[in-house]
Amino acid sequence: MRTPAHEVVAAPRWARATSLGLSLAAVAVASYLTVTHYTDPAALACPDTGVVNCTLVTTSSWSVMLDVPVAVLGLAWSIVMTGLTVPWAWRSERVWLQRARVAVAGLGAAMVLYLVYVELFRIGAICLWCTAIHVLGVGLFGVVMAAGATARRDAEVLA
Amino acid sequence: MSKSTNRRVPGARPATKPTKPSTSSKTAARGRRPGTAARRAPGAHSATKRFRSRHPVLTALAPVALILAIVATMVIVKVTSGPSAPTGVAAASALPGGKGAAASSDPGTSTLAPGVEASLDVPAATLDRVGKSASVVAPSATGDTGPILKDADGKPVVTYIGAEYCPYCAAERWSIAVALSRFGSFSNLSATHSAANDVYPDTQTLSFYGSQYSSAYLDFQPVEEATNQAVNGSYATLQEPTAAQSNLLARFDQQGSIPFLDIANKYVVVGASFSPQVLAGLTQAQIAQQLGDPSSPVAQAIDGAANEITAAIVRVTGQQPSSVASSSAIASIATSLGS
Repeated sequence: MRTPAHEVVAAPRWARATSLGLSLAAVAVASYLTVTHYTDPAALACPDTGVVNCTLVTTSSWSVMLDVPVAVLGLAWSIVMTGLTVPWAWRSERVWLQRARVAVAGLGAAMVLYLVYVELFRIGAICLWCTAIHVLGVGLFGVVMAAGATARRDAEVLA
Repeated sequence: MSKSTNRRVPGARPATKPTKPSTSSKTAARGRRPGTAARRAPGAHSATKRFRSRHPVLTALAPVALILAIVATMVIVKVTSGPSAPTGVAAASALPGGKGAAASSDPGTSTLAPGVEASLDVPAATLDRVGKSASVVAPSATGDTGPILKDADGKPVVTYIGAEYCPYCAAERWSIAVALSRFGSFSNLSATHSAANDVYPDTQTLSFYGSQYSSAYLDFQPVEEATNQAVNGSYATLQEPTAAQSNLLARFDQQGSIPFLDIANKYVVVGASFSPQVLAGLTQAQIAQQLGDPSSPVAQAIDGAANEITAAIVRVTGQQPSSVASSSAIASIATSLGS
Protein backbone atom coordinates (compact mmCIF):
# COMPACT_ATOMS: atom_id res chain seq x y z
CA MET A 1 0.00 0.00 0.00
CA ARG A 2 1.37 3.40 -0.95
CA THR A 3 1.20 5.97 1.75
CA PRO A 4 1.13 9.71 2.04
CA ALA A 5 4.56 11.18 1.64
CA HIS A 6 4.56 12.88 5.04
CA GLU A 7 4.22 9.50 6.77
CA VAL A 8 6.82 7.42 5.00
CA VAL A 9 9.98 9.51 5.01
CA ALA A 10 12.78 7.52 6.55
CA ALA A 11 13.76 8.51 10.02
CA PRO A 12 17.07 10.25 10.60
CA ARG A 13 20.09 8.05 11.05
CA TRP A 14 20.63 9.07 14.67
CA ALA A 15 17.13 7.94 15.54
CA ARG A 16 17.53 4.58 13.82
CA ALA A 17 20.82 3.89 15.55
CA THR A 18 19.70 5.15 18.95
CA SER A 19 16.43 3.28 18.94
CA LEU A 20 18.07 0.01 17.99
CA GLY A 21 20.71 0.49 20.66
CA LEU A 22 18.11 1.25 23.32
CA SER A 23 16.04 -1.75 22.25
CA LEU A 24 19.00 -4.10 22.43
CA ALA A 25 19.93 -2.72 25.84
CA ALA A 26 16.35 -3.31 26.96
CA VAL A 27 16.55 -6.90 25.72
CA ALA A 28 19.74 -7.41 27.73
CA VAL A 29 18.32 -6.00 30.95
CA ALA A 30 14.99 -7.77 30.57
CA SER A 31 16.80 -11.05 29.87
CA TYR A 32 18.79 -10.64 33.06
CA LEU A 33 15.64 -9.96 35.07
CA THR A 34 13.88 -12.92 33.47
CA VAL A 35 16.71 -15.34 34.13
CA THR A 36 17.00 -14.29 37.75
CA HIS A 37 13.23 -14.45 38.13
CA TYR A 38 13.30 -18.13 37.23
CA THR A 39 16.53 -18.99 39.03
CA ASP A 40 17.29 -16.90 42.08
CA PRO A 41 15.70 -13.44 42.42
CA ALA A 42 17.97 -12.73 45.37
CA ALA A 43 20.99 -13.09 43.07
CA LEU A 44 20.28 -9.76 41.34
CA ALA A 45 23.30 -7.48 41.51
CA CYS A 46 21.47 -4.87 43.55
CA PRO A 47 21.22 -3.73 47.17
CA ASP A 48 18.51 -5.53 49.10
CA THR A 49 18.08 -3.17 52.00
CA GLY A 50 16.43 0.20 52.32
CA VAL A 51 14.60 1.98 49.53
CA VAL A 52 16.59 0.28 46.80
CA ASN A 53 15.64 -3.37 47.02
CA CYS A 54 15.46 -5.31 43.78
CA THR A 55 14.55 -8.61 45.43
CA LEU A 56 11.63 -7.05 47.23
CA VAL A 57 10.29 -5.64 43.98
CA THR A 58 10.93 -8.62 41.73
CA THR A 59 9.38 -11.09 44.15
CA SER A 60 6.42 -8.95 45.18
CA SER A 61 2.87 -9.82 44.24
CA TRP A 62 3.08 -7.12 41.57
CA SER A 63 5.90 -8.92 39.78
CA VAL A 64 3.33 -11.09 38.05
CA MET A 65 0.52 -9.87 35.80
CA LEU A 66 -2.15 -12.28 34.59
CA ASP A 67 0.09 -15.15 35.65
CA VAL A 68 2.93 -13.83 33.50
CA PRO A 69 6.03 -12.45 35.23
CA VAL A 70 6.52 -8.77 34.51
CA ALA A 71 10.12 -9.58 33.61
CA VAL A 72 8.86 -11.83 30.81
CA LEU A 73 6.46 -9.12 29.63
CA GLY A 74 9.39 -6.70 29.56
CA LEU A 75 11.47 -9.14 27.57
CA ALA A 76 8.68 -9.69 25.07
CA TRP A 77 8.17 -5.95 24.72
CA SER A 78 11.87 -5.27 24.18
CA ILE A 79 12.13 -8.02 21.58
CA VAL A 80 9.16 -6.59 19.69
CA MET A 81 10.70 -3.11 19.93
CA THR A 82 13.96 -4.48 18.57
CA GLY A 83 12.07 -5.92 15.63
CA LEU A 84 10.40 -2.58 15.03
CA THR A 85 13.66 -0.64 15.15
CA VAL A 86 15.92 -2.76 12.99
CA PRO A 87 17.07 -0.93 9.83
CA TRP A 88 14.62 -2.88 7.65
CA ALA A 89 11.69 -1.76 9.77
CA TRP A 90 12.77 1.85 9.71
CA ARG A 91 13.16 1.72 5.91
CA SER A 92 9.80 0.09 5.38
CA GLU A 93 7.06 2.19 3.83
CA ARG A 94 4.34 0.21 5.56
CA VAL A 95 2.25 2.60 7.59
CA TRP A 96 1.06 -0.10 9.96
CA LEU A 97 4.67 -0.79 10.86
CA GLN A 98 5.29 2.84 11.72
CA ARG A 99 2.12 3.03 13.73
CA ALA A 100 2.95 -0.21 15.50
CA ARG A 101 6.33 1.22 16.46
CA VAL A 102 4.73 4.28 18.01
CA ALA A 103 2.01 2.19 19.68
CA VAL A 104 4.40 -0.37 21.18
CA ALA A 105 6.76 2.36 22.36
CA GLY A 106 3.81 4.21 23.86
CA LEU A 107 2.59 1.05 25.54
CA GLY A 108 6.02 0.64 27.09
CA ALA A 109 6.00 4.22 28.35
CA ALA A 110 2.55 3.78 29.84
CA MET A 111 3.70 0.59 31.53
CA VAL A 112 6.60 2.52 33.01
CA LEU A 113 4.18 4.91 34.69
CA TYR A 114 2.23 2.02 36.18
CA LEU A 115 5.33 0.20 37.40
CA VAL A 116 6.86 3.32 38.93
CA TYR A 117 3.58 3.89 40.77
CA VAL A 118 3.61 0.31 42.03
CA GLU A 119 7.22 0.54 43.17
CA LEU A 120 6.74 3.85 44.99
CA PHE A 121 3.30 3.47 46.49
CA ARG A 122 2.50 -0.24 46.67
CA ILE A 123 5.80 -1.97 47.31
CA GLY A 124 7.73 0.90 48.83
CA ALA A 125 11.01 -0.04 47.20
CA ILE A 126 12.86 0.68 43.98
CA CYS A 127 14.54 -1.89 41.77
CA LEU A 128 17.60 -0.51 40.01
CA TRP A 129 17.39 -2.95 37.10
CA CYS A 130 13.71 -2.17 36.65
CA THR A 131 14.55 1.52 36.69
CA ALA A 132 17.14 0.93 33.99
CA ILE A 133 14.55 -0.62 31.71
CA HIS A 134 12.11 2.17 32.59
CA VAL A 135 14.64 4.74 31.43
CA LEU A 136 15.22 2.76 28.25
CA GLY A 137 11.47 2.53 27.65
CA VAL A 138 10.82 6.25 28.03
CA GLY A 139 13.93 6.98 25.97
CA LEU A 140 12.71 4.72 23.20
CA PHE A 141 9.32 6.41 23.21
CA GLY A 142 11.01 9.79 22.94
CA VAL A 143 13.27 8.71 20.09
CA VAL A 144 10.41 7.13 18.16
CA MET A 145 8.25 10.21 18.57
CA ALA A 146 11.07 12.57 17.64
CA ALA A 147 12.00 10.45 14.63
CA GLY A 148 8.45 10.53 13.34
CA ALA A 149 8.20 14.28 13.77
CA THR A 150 11.53 14.86 12.07
CA ALA A 151 10.58 12.65 9.14
CA ARG A 152 7.27 14.41 8.70
CA ARG A 153 8.92 17.81 8.80
CA ASP A 154 11.51 16.76 6.21
CA ALA A 155 8.84 15.26 3.99
CA GLU A 156 6.91 18.47 3.98
CA VAL A 157 10.01 20.48 3.24
CA LEU A 158 10.97 18.20 0.38
CA ALA A 159 7.45 17.94 -0.98
CA MET B 1 27.05 14.24 2.47
CA SER B 2 24.23 16.67 2.78
CA LYS B 3 21.56 16.17 5.35
CA SER B 4 18.91 15.51 2.78
CA THR B 5 20.76 12.53 1.33
CA ASN B 6 20.11 10.68 4.53
CA ARG B 7 16.43 10.91 3.95
CA ARG B 8 14.47 8.83 1.55
CA VAL B 9 11.28 10.31 0.31
CA PRO B 10 9.36 7.54 -1.38
CA GLY B 11 6.57 8.76 -3.55
CA ALA B 12 7.55 12.37 -3.90
CA ARG B 13 4.05 13.04 -4.94
CA PRO B 14 2.25 15.69 -2.92
CA ALA B 15 0.34 14.54 0.08
CA THR B 16 -3.27 14.35 -0.99
CA LYS B 17 -4.77 12.99 2.21
CA PRO B 18 -3.13 14.66 5.12
CA THR B 19 -4.16 12.89 8.29
CA LYS B 20 -2.82 15.55 10.59
CA PRO B 21 -4.11 18.92 9.48
CA SER B 22 -1.68 20.83 11.63
CA THR B 23 1.55 19.42 10.22
CA SER B 24 1.96 22.43 7.98
CA SER B 25 -0.02 25.43 7.13
CA LYS B 26 -0.28 24.28 3.52
CA THR B 27 -1.68 20.85 4.21
CA ALA B 28 -3.74 22.12 7.06
CA ALA B 29 -5.43 24.62 4.83
CA ARG B 30 -6.33 21.89 2.38
CA GLY B 31 -7.30 19.25 4.87
CA ARG B 32 -9.17 21.17 7.52
CA ARG B 33 -12.64 19.91 8.17
CA PRO B 34 -15.36 22.49 7.79
CA GLY B 35 -16.37 23.94 11.07
CA THR B 36 -13.30 22.84 12.99
CA ALA B 37 -11.95 26.32 13.38
CA ALA B 38 -15.32 27.66 14.37
CA ARG B 39 -15.23 25.63 17.57
CA ARG B 40 -12.01 27.21 18.78
CA ALA B 41 -10.77 30.69 19.28
CA PRO B 42 -9.15 31.58 15.96
CA GLY B 43 -6.11 33.13 17.59
CA ALA B 44 -5.37 30.17 19.83
CA HIS B 45 -5.83 27.71 17.01
CA SER B 46 -3.46 29.46 14.69
CA ALA B 47 -0.90 29.97 17.44
CA THR B 48 -0.95 26.26 18.22
CA LYS B 49 -0.69 25.48 14.56
CA ARG B 50 2.25 27.80 14.13
CA PHE B 51 4.06 26.29 17.08
CA ARG B 52 3.48 22.77 15.77
CA SER B 53 4.72 23.79 12.35
CA ARG B 54 7.83 25.47 13.63
CA HIS B 55 8.68 22.95 16.34
CA PRO B 56 7.45 19.54 15.22
CA VAL B 57 10.01 17.64 17.29
CA LEU B 58 9.20 19.59 20.44
CA THR B 59 5.53 18.94 19.84
CA ALA B 60 6.15 15.25 19.34
CA LEU B 61 8.11 15.09 22.58
CA ALA B 62 5.27 16.58 24.60
CA PRO B 63 3.98 13.12 25.64
CA VAL B 64 7.48 12.22 26.83
CA ALA B 65 7.66 15.41 28.85
CA LEU B 66 4.26 14.55 30.32
CA ILE B 67 5.49 11.11 31.37
CA LEU B 68 8.58 12.59 32.98
CA ALA B 69 6.44 15.16 34.78
CA ILE B 70 4.14 12.45 36.13
CA VAL B 71 7.09 10.38 37.34
CA ALA B 72 8.65 13.43 38.97
CA THR B 73 5.34 14.23 40.65
CA MET B 74 5.05 10.70 42.01
CA VAL B 75 8.59 10.85 43.39
CA ILE B 76 7.95 14.24 45.02
CA VAL B 77 4.68 13.04 46.55
CA LYS B 78 6.40 9.91 47.84
CA VAL B 79 9.33 11.82 49.33
CA THR B 80 7.24 14.53 50.93
CA SER B 81 4.66 12.13 52.33
CA GLY B 82 7.32 10.30 54.29
CA PRO B 83 7.73 6.59 54.81
CA SER B 84 4.59 4.51 54.67
CA ALA B 85 3.80 0.93 55.32
CA PRO B 86 4.18 -1.00 52.12
CA THR B 87 1.25 -3.15 51.20
CA GLY B 88 1.72 -6.54 49.73
CA VAL B 89 4.81 -7.11 51.80
CA ALA B 90 4.83 -7.79 55.48
CA ALA B 91 6.52 -5.07 57.41
CA ALA B 92 6.78 -6.21 60.95
CA SER B 93 7.47 -2.71 62.17
CA ALA B 94 4.39 -1.29 60.55
CA LEU B 95 1.55 -3.63 61.20
CA PRO B 96 -1.74 -1.98 60.34
CA GLY B 97 -4.10 -1.49 63.21
CA GLY B 98 -1.66 -2.43 65.91
CA LYS B 99 -2.76 -1.29 69.31
CA GLY B 100 0.57 -0.61 70.86
CA ALA B 101 3.24 1.79 69.87
CA ALA B 102 6.18 -0.04 68.46
CA ALA B 103 9.54 0.81 69.84
CA SER B 104 11.46 3.14 67.60
CA SER B 105 14.42 0.82 67.69
CA ASP B 106 15.18 -2.60 69.01
CA PRO B 107 18.20 -2.59 71.30
CA GLY B 108 18.17 -6.36 71.57
CA THR B 109 19.09 -6.94 67.95
CA SER B 110 22.05 -6.48 65.69
CA THR B 111 22.70 -6.76 61.99
CA LEU B 112 22.32 -10.27 60.69
CA ALA B 113 25.51 -11.47 59.05
CA PRO B 114 25.10 -11.86 55.27
CA GLY B 115 26.30 -15.44 55.47
CA VAL B 116 23.63 -16.30 58.01
CA GLU B 117 20.93 -14.65 55.92
CA ALA B 118 22.10 -16.53 52.85
CA SER B 119 22.06 -19.83 54.74
CA LEU B 120 18.30 -19.54 55.15
CA ASP B 121 17.95 -20.41 51.48
CA VAL B 122 18.66 -24.06 52.13
CA PRO B 123 19.02 -25.98 48.86
CA ALA B 124 16.00 -28.08 47.97
CA ALA B 125 18.19 -31.17 47.70
CA THR B 126 19.34 -30.71 51.29
CA LEU B 127 15.78 -30.29 52.51
CA ASP B 128 14.74 -33.39 50.58
CA ARG B 129 17.53 -35.37 52.20
CA VAL B 130 16.39 -34.25 55.65
CA GLY B 131 12.83 -35.17 54.71
CA LYS B 132 10.50 -35.93 57.59
CA SER B 133 12.45 -35.65 60.80
CA ALA B 134 11.45 -37.73 63.78
CA SER B 135 12.63 -35.01 66.16
CA VAL B 136 10.08 -32.38 65.19
CA VAL B 137 6.40 -31.81 65.80
CA ALA B 138 4.22 -31.31 62.75
CA PRO B 139 1.70 -28.46 62.43
CA SER B 140 -1.76 -29.34 63.65
CA ALA B 141 -4.76 -29.14 61.41
CA THR B 142 -7.26 -26.72 62.91
CA GLY B 143 -10.26 -28.44 61.41
CA ASP B 144 -11.55 -25.03 60.43
CA THR B 145 -14.06 -25.47 57.65
CA GLY B 146 -14.13 -21.79 56.66
CA PRO B 147 -12.26 -20.31 53.77
CA ILE B 148 -8.50 -20.08 53.69
CA LEU B 149 -7.46 -16.84 55.38
CA LYS B 150 -6.29 -14.52 52.62
CA ASP B 151 -5.19 -10.93 52.40
CA ALA B 152 -6.60 -8.23 50.14
CA ASP B 153 -4.47 -9.52 47.31
CA GLY B 154 -5.88 -13.01 47.63
CA LYS B 155 -2.73 -14.52 49.09
CA PRO B 156 -2.94 -16.91 52.05
CA VAL B 157 -1.89 -15.25 55.30
CA VAL B 158 0.72 -16.81 57.56
CA THR B 159 0.76 -15.19 60.99
CA TYR B 160 3.58 -15.52 63.49
CA ILE B 161 3.39 -14.23 67.05
CA GLY B 162 6.40 -14.47 69.31
CA ALA B 163 8.88 -12.44 71.29
CA GLU B 164 12.60 -11.99 71.23
CA TYR B 165 13.17 -13.07 74.83
CA CYS B 166 11.39 -16.38 74.19
CA PRO B 167 13.79 -19.33 73.65
CA TYR B 168 11.15 -21.46 71.93
CA CYS B 169 10.47 -18.61 69.53
CA ALA B 170 14.21 -18.42 68.95
CA ALA B 171 14.24 -22.01 67.78
CA GLU B 172 11.06 -21.78 65.72
CA ARG B 173 12.09 -18.65 63.82
CA TRP B 174 14.87 -20.53 62.07
CA SER B 175 12.41 -23.07 60.69
CA ILE B 176 9.88 -20.43 59.72
CA ALA B 177 12.55 -18.43 57.90
CA VAL B 178 13.88 -21.50 56.07
CA ALA B 179 10.37 -22.54 55.06
CA LEU B 180 9.25 -19.09 53.93
CA SER B 181 12.46 -18.59 51.96
CA ARG B 182 11.12 -21.22 49.57
CA PHE B 183 8.11 -19.02 48.77
CA GLY B 184 9.69 -15.58 48.74
CA SER B 185 12.47 -13.57 50.25
CA PHE B 186 13.25 -11.73 53.44
CA SER B 187 15.08 -8.50 53.88
CA ASN B 188 16.11 -6.53 56.92
CA LEU B 189 16.16 -9.54 59.19
CA SER B 190 18.18 -8.87 62.31
CA ALA B 191 20.15 -11.05 64.66
CA THR B 192 19.08 -11.54 68.25
CA HIS B 193 19.00 -14.11 71.05
CA SER B 194 16.63 -15.28 73.71
CA ALA B 195 16.80 -13.87 77.23
CA ALA B 196 19.87 -14.66 79.28
CA ASN B 197 17.90 -15.46 82.43
CA ASP B 198 15.39 -17.87 80.94
CA VAL B 199 15.61 -21.56 80.02
CA TYR B 200 17.88 -22.24 77.07
CA PRO B 201 19.54 -18.87 77.71
CA ASP B 202 20.91 -16.79 74.87
CA THR B 203 19.65 -19.10 72.16
CA GLN B 204 20.90 -17.51 68.98
CA THR B 205 18.25 -16.58 66.45
CA LEU B 206 16.95 -13.91 64.14
CA SER B 207 14.18 -11.38 64.63
CA PHE B 208 11.30 -10.64 62.32
CA TYR B 209 10.90 -7.19 63.87
CA GLY B 210 11.50 -4.57 61.20
CA SER B 211 11.92 -7.22 58.53
CA GLN B 212 10.20 -7.35 55.22
CA TYR B 213 9.06 -10.39 53.33
CA SER B 214 7.82 -10.52 49.79
CA SER B 215 6.27 -13.44 48.05
CA ALA B 216 4.02 -14.04 45.11
CA TYR B 217 2.37 -16.89 46.98
CA LEU B 218 1.64 -15.82 50.53
CA ASP B 219 1.49 -12.92 52.94
CA PHE B 220 3.61 -13.27 56.06
CA GLN B 221 2.55 -11.17 59.06
CA PRO B 222 4.96 -11.48 61.95
CA VAL B 223 4.52 -9.93 65.37
CA GLU B 224 7.39 -9.69 67.83
CA GLU B 225 5.70 -8.70 71.02
CA ALA B 226 8.73 -7.82 73.11
CA THR B 227 12.47 -7.39 73.11
CA ASN B 228 14.93 -9.47 75.11
CA GLN B 229 15.78 -6.40 77.17
CA ALA B 230 14.20 -6.30 80.61
CA VAL B 231 12.92 -2.91 81.76
CA ASN B 232 11.63 -2.67 85.35
CA GLY B 233 11.23 -6.39 85.53
CA SER B 234 9.47 -6.91 82.21
CA TYR B 235 10.51 -7.00 78.60
CA ALA B 236 10.04 -3.84 76.60
CA THR B 237 7.12 -3.99 74.23
CA LEU B 238 7.86 -4.03 70.53
CA GLN B 239 4.49 -4.71 68.95
CA GLU B 240 1.04 -5.84 69.91
CA PRO B 241 -1.12 -8.09 67.76
CA THR B 242 -3.99 -6.51 65.91
CA ALA B 243 -7.53 -7.40 66.86
CA ALA B 244 -7.65 -9.96 64.07
CA GLN B 245 -4.40 -11.53 65.22
CA SER B 246 -5.61 -11.62 68.80
CA ASN B 247 -8.70 -13.42 67.57
CA LEU B 248 -6.48 -16.04 66.00
CA LEU B 249 -4.81 -16.62 69.34
CA ALA B 250 -8.17 -16.83 71.06
CA ARG B 251 -9.40 -19.40 68.56
CA PHE B 252 -6.39 -21.65 68.16
CA ASP B 253 -4.14 -20.95 71.15
CA GLN B 254 -6.31 -20.44 74.20
CA GLN B 255 -3.29 -20.52 76.51
CA GLY B 256 -1.73 -17.67 74.60
CA SER B 257 1.50 -19.63 74.22
CA ILE B 258 4.25 -18.39 71.98
CA PRO B 259 5.57 -19.03 69.46
CA PHE B 260 2.30 -19.22 67.60
CA LEU B 261 2.15 -19.82 63.88
CA ASP B 262 -1.13 -19.74 62.00
CA ILE B 263 -1.11 -20.96 58.43
CA ALA B 264 -4.18 -19.41 56.84
CA ASN B 265 -6.41 -20.77 59.62
CA LYS B 266 -5.86 -24.33 58.39
CA TYR B 267 -2.76 -25.33 60.36
CA VAL B 268 -1.18 -24.01 63.51
CA VAL B 269 2.06 -24.52 65.37
CA VAL B 270 1.77 -23.70 69.07
CA GLY B 271 5.11 -23.79 70.83
CA ALA B 272 8.37 -24.81 69.24
CA SER B 273 8.49 -27.64 66.71
CA PHE B 274 11.71 -28.89 68.32
CA SER B 275 13.68 -28.40 71.47
CA PRO B 276 15.89 -25.29 71.66
CA GLN B 277 18.45 -27.54 73.29
CA VAL B 278 19.62 -28.44 69.79
CA LEU B 279 20.91 -24.90 69.42
CA ALA B 280 22.47 -24.60 72.87
CA GLY B 281 25.91 -23.06 72.83
CA LEU B 282 25.96 -22.60 69.07
CA THR B 283 26.76 -19.31 67.41
CA GLN B 284 24.69 -18.01 64.53
CA ALA B 285 27.47 -18.90 62.13
CA GLN B 286 27.59 -22.46 63.43
CA ILE B 287 23.84 -22.83 63.11
CA ALA B 288 23.97 -21.39 59.61
CA GLN B 289 26.72 -23.78 58.62
CA GLN B 290 24.88 -26.84 59.87
CA LEU B 291 21.67 -25.89 58.07
CA GLY B 292 23.27 -27.15 54.88
CA ASP B 293 24.42 -30.46 56.37
CA PRO B 294 21.43 -32.81 56.28
CA SER B 295 23.00 -35.19 58.77
CA SER B 296 23.62 -32.56 61.44
CA PRO B 297 21.32 -32.31 64.46
CA VAL B 298 20.64 -28.68 63.60
CA ALA B 299 19.48 -29.52 60.08
CA GLN B 300 17.43 -32.43 61.33
CA ALA B 301 15.64 -30.07 63.67
CA ILE B 302 15.42 -26.78 61.80
CA ASP B 303 15.20 -28.11 58.26
CA GLY B 304 12.93 -30.91 59.40
CA ALA B 305 10.52 -28.46 61.00
CA ALA B 306 10.80 -26.21 57.96
CA ASN B 307 9.70 -29.12 55.78
CA GLU B 308 6.64 -29.63 57.96
CA ILE B 309 5.73 -25.95 57.78
CA THR B 310 6.38 -25.91 54.04
CA ALA B 311 4.11 -28.89 53.50
CA ALA B 312 1.33 -27.14 55.41
CA ILE B 313 1.82 -23.95 53.42
CA VAL B 314 1.60 -25.62 50.01
CA ARG B 315 -1.72 -27.06 51.12
CA VAL B 316 -3.09 -23.51 51.39
CA THR B 317 -1.35 -22.08 48.34
CA GLY B 318 -2.92 -24.64 46.05
CA GLN B 319 0.33 -26.59 45.63
CA GLN B 320 2.19 -23.46 44.56
CA PRO B 321 4.93 -23.07 43.66
CA SER B 322 4.86 -26.43 41.98
CA SER B 323 8.62 -26.81 42.25
CA VAL B 324 8.29 -26.78 46.04
CA ALA B 325 5.08 -28.78 46.28
CA SER B 326 6.44 -31.54 44.06
CA SER B 327 9.73 -31.97 45.86
CA SER B 328 10.00 -35.44 47.32
CA ALA B 329 10.07 -34.42 50.98
CA ILE B 330 7.20 -31.96 50.77
CA ALA B 331 5.00 -34.23 48.67
CA SER B 332 5.57 -37.02 51.16
CA ILE B 333 4.94 -34.93 54.27
CA ALA B 334 1.89 -33.21 52.79
CA THR B 335 0.12 -36.54 52.46
CA SER B 336 0.58 -37.19 56.17
CA LEU B 337 -0.80 -33.82 57.27
CA GLY B 338 -4.33 -33.76 58.55
CA SER B 339 -6.91 -31.62 56.87
